[in-house]
Amino acid sequence: MLRFVVPALVLAGPARAAMSRGFNQLFDAVVRIDVREVAFEDGAKRLSASIGSGVIFSKDGLILTNAHVASPRAVELSVTLASLERVSAHLVGWDHWTDLAVLQIDLAEVKRRGLKFTHADFGNSDDLYVGETVYAVGTPFGLTRTATRGIISNNRRYFEDSHGVNGYETGAFNTWLQTDAAINPGNSGGPLVTEDGKVIGISSRGYLGANNLGFAIPVSTARRVADGLVRNGSITRSYVGLVPRALQDFENFYSLALNTGMLIDNVDRGSPADRAGLRGGDILLAINGQKVDGRFPEQLPPIQNQIASVPVGTSLKLTVKRGASVADYSVVTEKLESQVGEEWVLEKWGLSVRKVTRTFARDHQLDDANGVQVIGVQPGFPADVAGLSRGDIITKINREPIPDLATVQRTHAAYVAKPQPVLVEALRNREVSLYILKP
Amino acid sequence: MKLRLLGFFLLAGLTGRAADLPVLWAERVKTVVAVEYYTETETDRRPSVCYGTVIDHNGTIILPPVAVNTRVTPSQLKEFKVYLPGSSQSVPGVYLGQDSLTGWHFVRADKSLWPDLVPITTYAAKTAGEPALAQEVWGIGLRNKDEDFAPYLLASRVALIQSLPQRTAIALHEVAGPGLPVFNLAGEFVGLAASSFGQSFVQFTRTDRGGSPVILVNVEESSAFQLTSEVLPYLGRVPTNYFGRPLAWLGASGLQPVDPDVAKFLKLDGQSAVVVSEVLEGSPAEKAGMKARDVLLAVDKAPLPRLKPDHVVVGYLEREVARRNPGQTMSITVLRGETRLELPVVLGEEPRLTTEADRKYYDRIGLTAREFVYGDAVGLRVKTTNLTGVIAHFVKPNSPAAIAGLRTDDWIKEIDGVEVRTFADAARKLDEVEADQQRAELVLLVGRGNETALLHVKLK
Repeated sequence: MLRFVVPALVLAGPARAAMSRGFNQLFDAVVRIDVREVAFEDGAKRLSASIGSGVIFSKDGLILTNAHVASPRAVELSVTLASLERVSAHLVGWDHWTDLAVLQIDLAEVKRRGLKFTHADFGNSDDLYVGETVYAVGTPFGLTRTATRGIISNNRRYFEDSHGVNGYETGAFNTWLQTDAAINPGNSGGPLVTEDGKVIGISSRGYLGANNLGFAIPVSTARRVADGLVRNGSITRSYVGLVPRALQDFENFYSLALNTGMLIDNVDRGSPADRAGLRGGDILLAINGQKVDGRFPEQLPPIQNQIASVPVGTSLKLTVKRGASVADYSVVTEKLESQVGEEWVLEKWGLSVRKVTRTFARDHQLDDANGVQVIGVQPGFPADVAGLSRGDIITKINREPIPDLATVQRTHAAYVAKPQPVLVEALRNREVSLYILKP
Repeated sequence: MKLRLLGFFLLAGLTGRAADLPVLWAERVKTVVAVEYYTETETDRRPSVCYGTVIDHNGTIILPPVAVNTRVTPSQLKEFKVYLPGSSQSVPGVYLGQDSLTGWHFVRADKSLWPDLVPITTYAAKTAGEPALAQEVWGIGLRNKDEDFAPYLLASRVALIQSLPQRTAIALHEVAGPGLPVFNLAGEFVGLAASSFGQSFVQFTRTDRGGSPVILVNVEESSAFQLTSEVLPYLGRVPTNYFGRPLAWLGASGLQPVDPDVAKFLKLDGQSAVVVSEVLEGSPAEKAGMKARDVLLAVDKAPLPRLKPDHVVVGYLEREVARRNPGQTMSITVLRGETRLELPVVLGEEPRLTTEADRKYYDRIGLTAREFVYGDAVGLRVKTTNLTGVIAHFVKPNSPAAIAGLRTDDWIKEIDGVEVRTFADAARKLDEVEADQQRAELVLLVGRGNETALLHVKLK
């Protein structure tokens, strides 16, 4: 499930001597997660299987893992406990921004079968020092219950990726722990722990083709997100539309003291910040009077998170420097949305679609969030024959707009019941074409 | 080379009239010339060679549309020279401009050459008519400059005639150099060879939606030619300016043809239609009430013809606009939802083109700044009423601008934190920067696609 394939040169086995009681307890709380998930690619519904890792962190069987291991696309989740017994689980919630998901073991099944499990304790990821020994525990390449050893290579790595979690955005709101403990595909979602077995991170990703450059989400972030997921099933964040950039090298140009302000590289068109009058090239000095320091890249996620953490609809006072003048702007936050919308397949048409979201519309300069994006067509099926292809945005079906996925599903259902030609209006690049889906 | 030999071989088998061919050849070769010119860009100077056909007694020559790169502006075109076939001597030529309807570039040869030139109209057929399928045709090819543009014979048969939308014959194989005339066995002018690139790329390939186009690769010879009905009526369109103004403007963009299935669904029998993707701000189409997603059905009550392949109808409509003048009314029938509407559009004058825009090169920075024009605003989806900033028309590789991350077509909105309102603003500022040898840096705020970015250009 990790996003690379790197043969590990050093596969350090767990050093028996170093295994404290705490480590044993942790080891017993690590699980293997087998996932069957549905994909809507190529105009058909397909199931695929994958393996990841996780760690039980509560008495009631809550498991932390990665969002790229367990997502809402999962149709079957089964967890292998330390006892090697398999038990089913369900998704409590996921958050691709931090690449975290929470599962819960089916407690009724545990009780019925008389199974036992233990849970791990959290450590403190904020006071790790670079060079500190850590262990990654998980299921690399399906090798259940593998521990590898390394050190903290960097405790505040900035790593943002607009398509990092199965096409979803990640990394804007947290920094990462970097480690040289071998992290391989299958380690995803497993814990990164200190020698006493305290969980300080959730192993998540590595560099393709690199040696021992692994990354984990710090547990300070993971605990916060897990709490939110358990409470609400999802994490709601605020959005204003600022694309930040480290100020490094630009202080002279802006006549700024060092460690003051954050550069705004871009303001999303039509976003709250845009409407408030902010623009690219502005310097953000303070949020609600609290000074901002975005000199280096790793300082950006906390600032982004500060904005994201206020309730949606909050009015933020942004102090902004433009040229020689400094002014306050009042910006009301919106709900943060992914560019990736809900997906579905219209099987009789051989057409996979994804709902256009507000963010997608904004990024692609569409007028509004109406419509669905074609993410795949099946050769020889009506959508393919009509000439639709991946990337097209269907804006109308039978002359009706498409505010939600249900609209398309209804039209498809009507077609299934009584096949007759359907008129489709779609955008390719920026050009409008008409297509007929015919039986 | 093989094809040419085959050409001779075919001719050997022609009827008795083929005996006249040497005579016809000697006369008709005077209707063609080779034209050489230089394109001066920021960093280099390149020669180009193309072929032209003589159209009058005043040394006027037409070159095919692809003879000049569309990104080049006329001020970059230098030193036109006109060569007779088989000659290493040239006379100067003057570039007159490009006609918007035919796309031809017009050049006038120096007076000294006029006595040696014969206009193609001399050989126009007495009776109107198209060549028949399978009819034999022949034409002239010209070798390269190192062979003194030696003329050689090409011949073939008409394989197919189509409206693309211009009436175009496709021969069995190459029949003339691009831009050069094609004749029948009686020596009558039957058409002008199209280019193998450009038009042929678009027109002579099957571009099924989603399919990959086939490209014809012979740039020196062409097997397609536009019939005289697409040539003779337009020879009088000698441009009075480089850009062929006045240019009629409709302002409906992203025209997409409907396929026969869609036409049938919309109950359009035996005709075609095009969908408008966007109605441009402030355009004649907008003023006439046209809306994005309107389906255009007819021009002045004449239904759009069903042409093959489907996308040819777009060219048809564009030509209907181009053949008219600004100020003229064009009545367009549209289908909106299920309602038919008649929209009388008073055509306007095309806004300033990219090639007409002011531009200036800054060698130290490594940048050509170009005036921001209407078309840029349309491309970037911003308001066309407030054209500000300049476009990075050229970024010199490995220059400070390139190293800072500036790319061709970036939109420069601010220079050193000051908003750029006009091209003159930008030029003033950049002149200042370029002249100041002490200056170590320059900060540009640029727009690229939907986003902006701040670039730090280090001059030292």
